[in-house]
Amino acid sequence: MVRKELIKRSPLRILEKSTRGGLGKGNIGVIAARKGVGKTACLVHIATDQLFQEKHVIHVSYSGKIGHIVQWYEDIFQEIAKRYKLDCAMDVHDDIIRNRLVMNFEQANVTVAKIEKNIRTLMEKGSFSVETIVLDGYDFNKATVKEFGEFRRFARDNAFELWFSATLKEDTNAKSRVPPMLAPYMDDIAILICLQPRGEFIHLDLVKDHDAEMVSDMHLKLDPRILLIAEENQAERVV
Amino acid sequence: MAFDISTMRNIGISAHIDSGKTTLSERILYYCNKIHAIHEVKGKDGVGATMDSMELERERGITIASAATNVEWRKHSINLIDTPGHVDFTIEVERALRVLDGAVLVLCSVGGVQSQSITVDRQLKRYKVPRVAFINKCDRAGANPYRVKEQLCEKLGHNAVLMQVPIGLEEKFAGMVDLVTMKALYFDGDHGEDMREEQIPADLREEAEARRVELIDAVSMYSDELAEAYLEGKETEEQIRTAVRKGVLSLDLTPVFVGTAYKNKGVQPLLDAVVEYLPSPRDRKYFALDLDNDEAEIPLEALDDKPTVALAFKLEDGHYGQLTYIRIYQGSLKKGDELTNIRSGKSFKVGRLVRMHASAMEDIQSAPCGDIVALFGVDCASGDTFAQGGLNYSLTSMFVPEPVISLAIKPKDNKSADNMSKALNRFSKEDPTFRSHVDAESKETIIRGMGELHLDIYIERMKREYNVEIETGQPQVAYRETITQRVEFDYTHRKQSGGSGQYGRVAGIMEPIHDRDYEFIDEIVGGVIPREFISSCDKGFKACLARGSIIGFPIVGVKITINDGQSHSVDSSDMAFQLAAIGAFRQAYARARPEILEPIMKVSIEGPAEFQGNALASINQRRGIIISTSEDNTFSRVDAEVPLAEMFGFSTVLRSITQGKANFTMEFARYGKVPASKCEELIKQYQEQAKKRA
Repeated sequence: MVRKELIKRSPLRILEKSTRGGLGKGNIGVIAARKGVGKTACLVHIATDQLFQEKHVIHVSYSGKIGHIVQWYEDIFQEIAKRYKLDCAMDVHDDIIRNRLVMNFEQANVTVAKIEKNIRTLMEKGSFSVETIVLDGYDFNKATVKEFGEFRRFARDNAFELWFSATLKEDTNAKSRVPPMLAPYMDDIAILICLQPRGEFIHLDLVKDHDAEMVSDMHLKLDPRILLIAEENQAERVV
Repeated sequence: MAFDISTMRNIGISAHIDSGKTTLSERILYYCNKIHAIHEVKGKDGVGATMDSMELERERGITIASAATNVEWRKHSINLIDTPGHVDFTIEVERALRVLDGAVLVLCSVGGVQSQSITVDRQLKRYKVPRVAFINKCDRAGANPYRVKEQLCEKLGHNAVLMQVPIGLEEKFAGMVDLVTMKALYFDGDHGEDMREEQIPADLREEAEARRVELIDAVSMYSDELAEAYLEGKETEEQIRTAVRKGVLSLDLTPVFVGTAYKNKGVQPLLDAVVEYLPSPRDRKYFALDLDNDEAEIPLEALDDKPTVALAFKLEDGHYGQLTYIRIYQGSLKKGDELTNIRSGKSFKVGRLVRMHASAMEDIQSAPCGDIVALFGVDCASGDTFAQGGLNYSLTSMFVPEPVISLAIKPKDNKSADNMSKALNRFSKEDPTFRSHVDAESKETIIRGMGELHLDIYIERMKREYNVEIETGQPQVAYRETITQRVEFDYTHRKQSGGSGQYGRVAGIMEPIHDRDYEFIDEIVGGVIPREFISSCDKGFKACLARGSIIGFPIVGVKITINDGQSHSVDSSDMAFQLAAIGAFRQAYARARPEILEPIMKVSIEGPAEFQGNALASINQRRGIIISTSEDNTFSRVDAEVPLAEMFGFSTVLRSITQGKANFTMEFARYGKVPASKCEELIKQYQEQAKKRA
């Protein structure tokens, strides 16, 4: 399969359809779940999909394990290439890794201004353009509404798409809709997706879609064996 | 009385350049009474530290060759291997690591865990060397051993635990609290030779107690006895030490010590730790490969009465001829013993047997199992195995990377020419990553190695040690050629111009492979190419790999399958089929969309955060891909992949754009495709050169 076809058939197109065209520039999206359910896998898949579309992605991490994150991207890429039987996979790989960068901080002493400054340096000195930023491992327990507002301004000023992961203490359920931990930040969050383990798979529930709060099953699932997002009821068309 | 192997330690000192490793070695020699005066690395007295045996190292303030030296501490025999600190000499480091039983990882209390420490640590892990860490330079401004300990955990993934708490820091650094004995240690005398135990200063009491709890928490998992005793509040010093030792030997725990070698503080407790926690040769498991049994792994036994198995890990050109450093893994060795060099099959008698001090030596009659000693006048190469009693064992061959850079050299006069070949012969025996050959076409002597600095050092050594004046060309990157498309070929070689004719036809498929350089598959059926000529075809194809047609570099990643052909009862010969294969290869190669590959290096730049922008820009200018950036408080690190061709002279550039405050390391990562514009440039250069030669 060629790259174009791969982009067209990606299950993430369903996510875009469900959210009226996707996250959109200047907006913040959040993937929320308990620890170990698959937030990073989702984020890396979303980021990889952006990379396939020739967009540039910065993955900001707070974990200090850069090698680990780079490996995530490699694994997800290999898995997609295998599932799709991607043509010239190595060439595509060498092409897209130019557009990917991992930036590591310790959250304890990093401010939004600092992240912004480093990204600006990278854009100016490193000639790296940025469309999507993934912030994995951001601790919402230590966050403030003001700081989160800064992220929103940062996304809007630079027309970035900003994806966060949020680690919840417990599973959400259909009744509670927005997880209490995220409630204070909902004004700044455009898209909220909660990961729900149901049966063999982990389902992606859309909790907020731009101006509408609802709980709808997008009929997307995360297959824990391969850690890719896939369409429900289409076992064969996994990616 | 037989020598007790449990009192032997073979240790190395591994560290980042400039973290004070040579100074530390020097102090160790001093306290063990091996030397009678202390010299600094960049000594004002012009003498230099004793471990830096080579003049050049003295001048540059770095250690290139690993000298082994034997010292005694608390009735333990310690063989100390001073390992080089620069990444360009990693083969030297790795070779030294191969023979170590334990290591001291030296870190700078200001610089902390830097990119080179990560490389060195990875090497220690590869050879499963247990280690203790020593945080040096605690007297420097900005010293923060606590941060360095955290970095050991975070960046290197060690289970690091402080064994001592510093008393004061920076210029107030006075000594340390031993968390096992709960005593403060101070160092008196001109050179800190008198260690004094005192009560813990009142203001440090609480901190020390908290850190001791941390220590016991961390190590009690290695000893149930300690865990139980601790619950009852009855833990003994011995129980803690035993638990720490177990943790270290399991490669899981890194006890951390603090001090400043330069100011003579903390070296003796570190020596105690070496004796206490690092393994003896018997605590480690070593294996040999049985060459008579399909290279099956055979465990070696660290017993004196077993047949001897030893490894030559270092050759040195001494004043009295070639000196071969060996490590005895099994059995013992005495003068007059007969050994066999497994590689060459030659036997020899052990003549002079010596134990080395940095630049003096002591003649000995015998050496016990586990020891590191040197032999005189043995003809061998670095990495050879010596064995006794008919054993056909080889110690695992070390991982040797392929050179990535080459340089043409020319002697300025006849005298230099003679000495140059002597020097090259010596260096390539000493260092497997250094190679030299004479180019068949240009008749130039080409030397190859792992980086610019690597080759520079050898050129300097030629000048100093062999009086060779040479001219050098431009450094040349080791490019490769490869194919990208599957093509079929069908070629007939026919020659009938007088005498016996030549006839051979080969047909098949040429296609790219990724996991190896070359593969040959024979699918000939019905004998259309007679059996005896199949290997001729293989030979012919192989001959083509040496030189590609785009820019004249070796071809890699080609799979050839032959499935058809034809022969002639009279005119077919070995030569005819070789030529047919060569013709077929040329025909197919041109159509298989060949492309050029170049070595891509993994580059890490580290320095103060304010220079991150400049570092990023410098990578961007060099066709580099930035993989990641990392920042903590003041230090920033940029990891990138950059083509080697763009890295020439980078150290000078980096110095100027960061005011000398940043440093970088570089190692080979992989081969990558050369972009089209650069390809054209290379092809043009190659054609011009070809024209010139014609």
